[in-house]
Amino acid sequence: MNTFIKTTLAAVAAATALAAAAQSEPGLTDKSIRIGMFSPLSGNSMAYGFDVVNAAKMYYDKVNKEGGIHGRKIDIVLEDDRCNANDLLAAVKKLTEQDKVFLLNGGSCSGPVVGAREYVEREKIPLVMLNASGDGALYPPSKYIYGAFSISQRAVGGSMVQFAAEHLKAKKIGYLNHDDAYGGWNLEAAEFQAKKVGATLQVQSINPNITDVTAPMLKIRAANPDVLLVTTYARPVSLLVKKAHELGWNKPIVIAVNGTADLKQLVENVGNKDAFKNVYLQEVMLDVPGGEQLKWVYDMYKQYYPDLAAKPGYPQTYMPYGIPSAMAVVNALKAAGPQPTREKFLDAMSKLNFDSKVMAGPIAFTPTDHAAQKAAIYLKFDGENKNRVPGSYASAWTYQPK
Amino acid sequence: MKKRFSLDHLALLVLLAVLCVLPFTVTGYVLYVVNLLMVFVVLALGMHVVIGEAGQFALSHTAFYGIGIYTAGLINTAWHPPFVVSILAGGLLSAVLGYVIGFLALRMRDIYLALATFAFGEAMQWVFLNWESVTNGSNGMRMQPAQLFGLTLTNDLQAYPFVIAIAALMLWVTVWLSRSQFGSALRAVRESDVAAMAMGINARAMKQAAFVISAAFAGIAGGMYTLFISFIHPESLGFQTTILILTMVVVGGIGSVRGAVAGAIAFGIISELLRQALSIQEILYGAILLGFMMFKPRGLFAGSKKRAAKAPATHARQGSAA
Amino acid sequence: MSFDEIWLFLQQGLLSGLVTGSVYALLALAIVAVFKTTDVPNFAQGEMLMMAGYVALSLLLLAHLPYAAVIPLTLAVMALGGALFQRVVMERVTGSRGVGVQLVIATLGLAYVLKGLVRQTGLGDTPRSLPSLFSSDTVLIGDAALTQLDIAIFVVAVVVMVLIYLMFTYTRIGKAMRAVGMNPRAAQIVGIRLSRIRMMVWALAGLISAIAALLITPKVLVTPDIAHIAILAYAAAIVGGFTSLPGAVVGGLLIGVVENMVGLFISTNAIVVAPFLAILVTLIVRPQGLLGGKVQVKKV
Repeated sequence: MNTFIKTTLAAVAAATALAAAAQSEPGLTDKSIRIGMFSPLSGNSMAYGFDVVNAAKMYYDKVNKEGGIHGRKIDIVLEDDRCNANDLLAAVKKLTEQDKVFLLNGGSCSGPVVGAREYVEREKIPLVMLNASGDGALYPPSKYIYGAFSISQRAVGGSMVQFAAEHLKAKKIGYLNHDDAYGGWNLEAAEFQAKKVGATLQVQSINPNITDVTAPMLKIRAANPDVLLVTTYARPVSLLVKKAHELGWNKPIVIAVNGTADLKQLVENVGNKDAFKNVYLQEVMLDVPGGEQLKWVYDMYKQYYPDLAAKPGYPQTYMPYGIPSAMAVVNALKAAGPQPTREKFLDAMSKLNFDSKVMAGPIAFTPTDHAAQKAAIYLKFDGENKNRVPGSYASAWTYQPK
Repeated sequence: MKKRFSLDHLALLVLLAVLCVLPFTVTGYVLYVVNLLMVFVVLALGMHVVIGEAGQFALSHTAFYGIGIYTAGLINTAWHPPFVVSILAGGLLSAVLGYVIGFLALRMRDIYLALATFAFGEAMQWVFLNWESVTNGSNGMRMQPAQLFGLTLTNDLQAYPFVIAIAALMLWVTVWLSRSQFGSALRAVRESDVAAMAMGINARAMKQAAFVISAAFAGIAGGMYTLFISFIHPESLGFQTTILILTMVVVGGIGSVRGAVAGAIAFGIISELLRQALSIQEILYGAILLGFMMFKPRGLFAGSKKRAAKAPATHARQGSAA
Repeated sequence: MSFDEIWLFLQQGLLSGLVTGSVYALLALAIVAVFKTTDVPNFAQGEMLMMAGYVALSLLLLAHLPYAAVIPLTLAVMALGGALFQRVVMERVTGSRGVGVQLVIATLGLAYVLKGLVRQTGLGDTPRSLPSLFSSDTVLIGDAALTQLDIAIFVVAVVVMVLIYLMFTYTRIGKAMRAVGMNPRAAQIVGIRLSRIRMMVWALAGLISAIAALLITPKVLVTPDIAHIAILAYAAAIVGGFTSLPGAVVGGLLIGVVENMVGLFISTNAIVVAPFLAILVTLIVRPQGLLGGKVQVKKV
């Protein structure tokens, strides 16, 4: 009897110890790996995240159908971060502590996702952003954070200036950005690039909630630049393009990828096709949205979300950005081996370098640079058609640790 | 006066028991929600003092909350003192600013006081968003873990007992104030400036004091918040938050400490439960506000008119004795 | 900045300011009218403006009605809504012995409900525009550029303000509203039905919200954020004098011009805080505003 009890106890102890060891990584079981996703799924920023999440989810689903990663299926928990810092932090807390996910794959809004940096570092949980630029959390780099799968804001600014100087032959460049951190990031590289190409910048920084753009546009017109670069979000873009036309300013306008969330609505809001005689769009995918080389993504979307695809306005513009992020997570998990830990995963991430077949440039990380994508192409937009301008325009800015 | 074992005491004991058991049974996320509720309670108590006790409709509460957060956060990042110091500093700075604003605003009456304090609150949020060198502006500010003599608070579980303790302390202070002569004087001023002055109460000074105390409470609530939060963004430091606290106090019952606490917990829970369903949250808040104002405008725990009626008489007797 | 630039900015700031200011003036009129007649500062004015925009949008996009029908329907819906709110909610609050602060909180409740309803429809997720009845062709006045739409906005706003002035001064209803505002009990004794008059002034507020929304949204796009325009209307009402209707108009135009000037001469960033500073300065230095009478001390 004694022996029996002793043996049972020993067995239970061993089993518990084994179970504990096997599950010492949260979010991991023999058969599944739990990923916490968050993005704006509702509200006026949903165009930045709703379909991006759908794209990532469909990619994860495809991987699951093919057998998962080392026999583990990906299990997703999704939270709506409404594109603001407080909701994002609450979402991240819930995913990490309540749902106990293995890693976080979320964030479409740069400002808010940067706010999660301190928490992520305290909890030592990996964060792989979705499509946020998130420069503030990438420079200086953090061991736990990877991002800029769409493009870093630094690269946005630098590339725009390069395009203006090289293709549009501009010497005096008007620059409209936001007066927040986000705007500061793209401006920093824009100024760097301007110095490099010998051009001057005329900067007007505006509040993201601005309703009347008369003042900044008047000042731009008074400065009389050769080109106007706009790196604001979508709503101010409509107001600016409209006001430029009203003020009779018809030099080239280049709109950063930040502001192209809903082009159909942009055209409608501006209300005048003439306003688009000299407009260019920045694009960070390797082809025009809906173009030949991206067909596989849109076909996959139609297959997974037939109801959504039938609705007007879907898939949303940024949908394909979810793919490179999910690809990175999957590739790193595969490289982390059959007994992954968060440390092994992060180590694998720091060495990734692959062609996503979606983005204009490779997804490449180094131990000191956790921003994935830095290339952009440009399209001439007349309100209806997009025509690719040949060439790729790169930003020269690199991170210099202070 | 003998302390009777009332329903209030029972409720507090039950609450205390629950709070003690929680850390062993729930996740860190739930503890985060509880910590948040405690902050709401202190905010609501502060608003109770100025609106419930003194009857001054001040809408600048969140400004002082923000000052408390940034002050505590900055001091902690710069010097890492025991967090009690950072929190007290936040409360003190808020109190000082509360004095200044009170001095300017309390000359006005009712609607003008409300509008002036509202404008101040909004202007303060603009300062938080634009004073980049101090608050880091719209990038938000990172908070470092709070310290207390070698103990570092890095998550909600570790901050929990301290957050509860501070909230309990502030509750005790509120009740003590309410039951003191000061509280009676405040309520006398609330009922009628002129009558209070006729009894020798300096109405202006009382209102000023109430304003300062409520600002201090809000500042301390801000300090509490920094104990368990890793990042603050000024987005949440605007009029919306003031309205939320106002809702807690009004629906709980203007003039009632119980009401403020109950309102804080109820609305705090609703806001967290419905975080993912914002439109439902808004419609629900609106419906609750409309419903209460239409059918039970004095709130759940209607403030004790009896106490207010009794107090001036007592005070008068004591006043004449002095 | 060169003298030419300064002169250009002054002209543009003045003219653009008068255009947006005329809309602020309209909204300020609504706020002051409700306050004068019912003693309640309507904290839902911004949400009412937003609601009007989305009612128009829904009729246009979901009910597919022609714009010619959308305009009168929106006006009617908002006027009716305002009147109903007063009759069903506000009267009940006073009936339950609610006073000042409770009435204001009821308007806050309304604001929440309107916000939530609009959010629920999901229409606010993308900025949208209402069709413009006037072209955006530019008209040059001096050096400043205004669009035909801008001029139309100003003209219509002024016409509406004149009509409201005439109503308040010469019609029975207008006089009754003023009477109720000055002394409700006396007005009641004279035979004025308080309930009806209050409903009418709230209907007026709803109507004005709809007019303002239809005017301004082709210019600024329909988003849930247009509720913030009411803050400028509040600043206008305070600067002009919270109990003065002409003050609301003067205040509105002034705030519009100041907002534009601040944006042109200081920075676009400062535009956001300017109305709050205007409110604080006015209340500290001259609480009755420019045209308000002596500050009324409430009877104890």
